[in-house]
Amino acid sequence: MNVDTSDVAAPPAIAPARRRLPGDGHMWVMIIGDLFIFGVYFVTYMVFRAMSRDSFVRSQHHLNNTVGVVNTLIMLTSSMAIALAAIAARERRLRSAQRLVWVTGALGGLFVLVKVFEWHEQIRNGHTVSDQFYSFYYVFTGVHLVHLLLGLIILGVVIRELRNPRKQRASIVEQGAIYWHMVDALWIVIFAILYLMR
Amino acid sequence: MTSLSADEPSDTSVDRGSESRSVIAVWAFLSVITLVSWQLSPGSRDATSAVGDGLVAGIVALGAIKTTLIIRYFMEVRFAPRWLTVVTTTWVGLVWSTLLGVYLYR
Repeated sequence: MNVDTSDVAAPPAIAPARRRLPGDGHMWVMIIGDLFIFGVYFVTYMVFRAMSRDSFVRSQHHLNNTVGVVNTLIMLTSSMAIALAAIAARERRLRSAQRLVWVTGALGGLFVLVKVFEWHEQIRNGHTVSDQFYSFYYVFTGVHLVHLLLGLIILGVVIRELRNPRKQRASIVEQGAIYWHMVDALWIVIFAILYLMR
Repeated sequence: MTSLSADEPSDTSVDRGSESRSVIAVWAFLSVITLVSWQLSPGSRDATSAVGDGLVAGIVALGAIKTTLIIRYFMEVRFAPRWLTVVTTTWVGLVWSTLLGVYLYR
């Protein structure tokens, strides 16, 4: 990791050596609520799958695992970038933090492109919501994509914060980061249940 | 319960590079196990049969490990107050064990 010394100044670094809440409580309430709501939906999918196992397995084989893996690697890499941005912001390496948030956003954009490509291929091959598995597939990936798009807006807020010399609060970068990681964690479950657990 | 803000100055020193190194190491590990799960799954090679129960248990175990690492290392829950560790660990345990249980139910 390159460490630019140009913006090492200002307040001393904050290290999470004592227990503290990353971001703030309101964001965590939203994240925990979202995780549990998605959790219920994941289980609902699995129950429907158990009731029509053969039909779901047949439909699942039309998904391209490679596309799912590519999107998973993109998501994981974007999560690493925003995690490093939060560390950089705490250490007052603000230019590095800004660059890493941009990288995160670019990878988020790439995820959207891959997803749109995948949807296009599936629809072109006639796999639409008329199939029960695909109705779950489009809702899962669609709701996840909406969360990701909201994440991109939040990253825009983070960039704005970092560009404003009167603000530049590390806690705002952390807020954006923990939201983004939630989107990543949800994708990990979606990838497993739709693509891998056939 | 002690709670610090990221904007507050701290009197504690830390090896700054170690946090970044941990994040990069976790990312590398997550990427490797993603590729391992991909290789374990039959993909489109076998277009008719379902994955074996043992394999699904492995995929679920790797998924649980991945979400735990994301929550603990990327979301920094390992430094967070205990209640957050309990809530997130409960979520990971509940979701993955229920998914596996329903999958295996005949």
